[in-house]
Amino acid sequence: MNKSLLEKALQNPLSKAGFVIIVLVFLLAMLAPIIAPYDPNDINVKAILLSPSWQHWMGTDGLGRDVLSRMLYGGRISLLVGLVAVGISTAIGILLGAIAGYYRGWVDTLIMRLVDVMLSIPSFFLILAVIAFLTPSIINVMIVIGLTSWMGVTRLVRAEFLSLSGREFVLASRTLGAKDARLIFTHLLPNSLTPIIVSSVLGVAGAVLMESGLSFLGLGVQAPQASWGNILTDGKDYIQFAWWLSLFPGLAILITVLGYNLLGEGLRDALDPRSENNR
Amino acid sequence: MKILAFLTNQFLKRNAKFSFIATCLALSACGDSSQNLSQQALNNLNKSYPSQSGGTLLDATIGEPSGLIYMVAGESAAGAISSNIFNKLLKYDKNLDLEGELVEGWQVSSDQKTITFKLKPNLKWSDGKPLTSADVLWTWQAVTDEKTRSPYASDFQLVKKAETPDALTFSVTYDQAYAPALDSWAGLQILPKHLLQGQDLHTTAFARKPVGSNYYKLDSWTNGENIKLSRNPSSVLGQAKIDNLVTRIIPDSSAQFLELMADNIDSMGLDPIKYARIIPARPELKQKLALYKELGNSYTYMGFNLKRKPYDDVRVRKAINYAIDKQEIIDGVYLGLGIDIASPYKPGTRWSNPDLKPYPYDPQKAKVLLKEAGFVDSDGDGVLERDGKPFSFEILTNQNKEREKSAVLIQRRLKNVGIQANVRAIEWASFISRFIKTGDFDVVILGWGLGLDPDQFNIWHSSQQAPGQFNFIGYNNPSIDMLLEQGRTELNPDKRQKIYHEFARVLLEDSPIVYLSAGYGLSAIHKRVKGIDNPAPPAGVGWNTYDWYIPEPLRRAVPGRTEISTN
Repeated sequence: MNKSLLEKALQNPLSKAGFVIIVLVFLLAMLAPIIAPYDPNDINVKAILLSPSWQHWMGTDGLGRDVLSRMLYGGRISLLVGLVAVGISTAIGILLGAIAGYYRGWVDTLIMRLVDVMLSIPSFFLILAVIAFLTPSIINVMIVIGLTSWMGVTRLVRAEFLSLSGREFVLASRTLGAKDARLIFTHLLPNSLTPIIVSSVLGVAGAVLMESGLSFLGLGVQAPQASWGNILTDGKDYIQFAWWLSLFPGLAILITVLGYNLLGEGLRDALDPRSENNR
Repeated sequence: MKILAFLTNQFLKRNAKFSFIATCLALSACGDSSQNLSQQALNNLNKSYPSQSGGTLLDATIGEPSGLIYMVAGESAAGAISSNIFNKLLKYDKNLDLEGELVEGWQVSSDQKTITFKLKPNLKWSDGKPLTSADVLWTWQAVTDEKTRSPYASDFQLVKKAETPDALTFSVTYDQAYAPALDSWAGLQILPKHLLQGQDLHTTAFARKPVGSNYYKLDSWTNGENIKLSRNPSSVLGQAKIDNLVTRIIPDSSAQFLELMADNIDSMGLDPIKYARIIPARPELKQKLALYKELGNSYTYMGFNLKRKPYDDVRVRKAINYAIDKQEIIDGVYLGLGIDIASPYKPGTRWSNPDLKPYPYDPQKAKVLLKEAGFVDSDGDGVLERDGKPFSFEILTNQNKEREKSAVLIQRRLKNVGIQANVRAIEWASFISRFIKTGDFDVVILGWGLGLDPDQFNIWHSSQQAPGQFNFIGYNNPSIDMLLEQGRTELNPDKRQKIYHEFARVLLEDSPIVYLSAGYGLSAIHKRVKGIDNPAPPAGVGWNTYDWYIPEPLRRAVPGRTEISTN
């Protein structure tokens, strides 16, 4: 099912581009230890703020570290945070959505009001507030982003469950005496998976952006570890002079987020029976 | 204002003594004006002009003052502006010798306990009311009043008796001779009794619409935008040259720099990269900006929490001192614009002990000392352990680029000797309230900005450890306490010098902090501003701002440019 969905989505050149981008970014990040020309934390005070050259393709930063190497290692952090955070939020979303959509009644009301409350708080500020109380670290960032962005998935799963639970195959299974767990895990959930995947792909884009934002503000990944966000912060003061410090991480964030969005949109179009591409 | 000591979070901006006009508020509208300065205009900048009055100087501040009563605000943002509005009894001349500001002269009694100040005649507040010794007495009462909770109170609480025999005479008597006494009176801004009597200095509206006696008076204060001062026609010291000082509130130094380049401010403090790399590499900036460099009375250090283990062990502190390459920090972070120091005084002054040498970079010695202290790498992971616990700590600092970079360099050097350090940079206000005031830290990188008097009682004396006081590292050394007490009461400069040289020697030997460097205050001022001493005299670039002037041909276009098109 998923394969055909992906294939369908990839017929659209834009989502194909998104897919290629993501694969490339992943490859580069995975292979960072092999392809990075320098140690990302190798300080060289004699080579600070060098502009891009054959020695340093993306120049050097304020401590003479090679920006390309830091970008590659930073990419690993961004992608890791994106995936783990979305993993957490999706897991919570599925759980709460399934409970709400399957059992309905007061549990449903309770969970959906909770969703409304959480959604009413701008998520970036919520995350900022929570992070401010904790020690900034990658793990905290992943957890906090995960714990504050499950609401969309919850709504999605609940809606799917609501519509699926009236369908014949579910009713049939229930008539045959299937227990709640069996209904949920073998019938309802697998059939709601596609929209969840689509929303997760889009969620990764948001999480990557969020991590960069937090690191940019000094609340995410801490020195000397590189992340796109904190390379960008280093470049902020010298944006007119050391343009490479702002441009490359900025582009990397842009392209990665774009990639996830293109792919996510493509998947959504492929899912949507009303979409042009589907006919 | 004399500041005996304050925590620094930024480069000290010494010329911050004054501030100036925002005629140009719409950034996009004014942005291009300066970049297209014609060659003619640039040539004009370098001509010499006769001194003339008028014009407007635009300055910028990162932080907005909380109020303009300095004795309660106690922050540099407030001092930069209030010092243009209020006078002190005494001031420093360009060579840092004391001279009268509000007073014609002063006399110290033969037992050194009583100082009698003689005010200049016919002094006036800018509202026309006379300024008399009653105002001075009231100001002293205010600063020492418990309710005022002034951080500078301790300087004045030693005054046993203050009297005003007549309207022009003010005398103070100390319990015992107090060496920093005159210095402290060169720091206290005198406030008008007739406007403040009976008011709470923390809540009074006066803090936002002050009435002073100095060169300038407050015209307007727009929250988050600017503070405008104009010349005070009844200034007690004569007339300043520049008509208006406008301080724009621009809370981000990169934004300030963009405004400086776009000619929307006239001056700002610089970091070493802007000073040594960016401006020299850009001819259009070099042509219109004059750069100033002065060795400030300040230094950056790495301090240990001496109440915690293992930092209570002098061998550990020394080992860390040996393990850090200070020259590398000075070269790499400060681009050479710093000096390696071995005593907590400005290098080259009489208080700085010339016989002391900084701890050299010697990782081998560091390893030996750590071993002596019981740290060994028993599991071979490259990190030393003692009693099974790895030697690891967090270096806390504020979000200051130079300090963050220094921390990263230190982190690498410590790793080489088997110490695992993590770096964490925290926003200034929460850094102070959450970590410094509570003493909840292992190691910090911070700076001290110091007064001119060598007395550092409130930083090092063991009695100064309460929350909010300056000895937050918990330093407690009886011989240092004794030297500090002696130094305060010794009036003979040569004997005092000996005391403080000994003080610095004991301090270095004990290594409660690692001196990283004494930094230069760096600033850029637009060349349209004339009358600035370069190189800066000992008192700093800003010592004579009242004599600065902007020749008419170099002034900004009419202040009507505020509203320009929306695009």
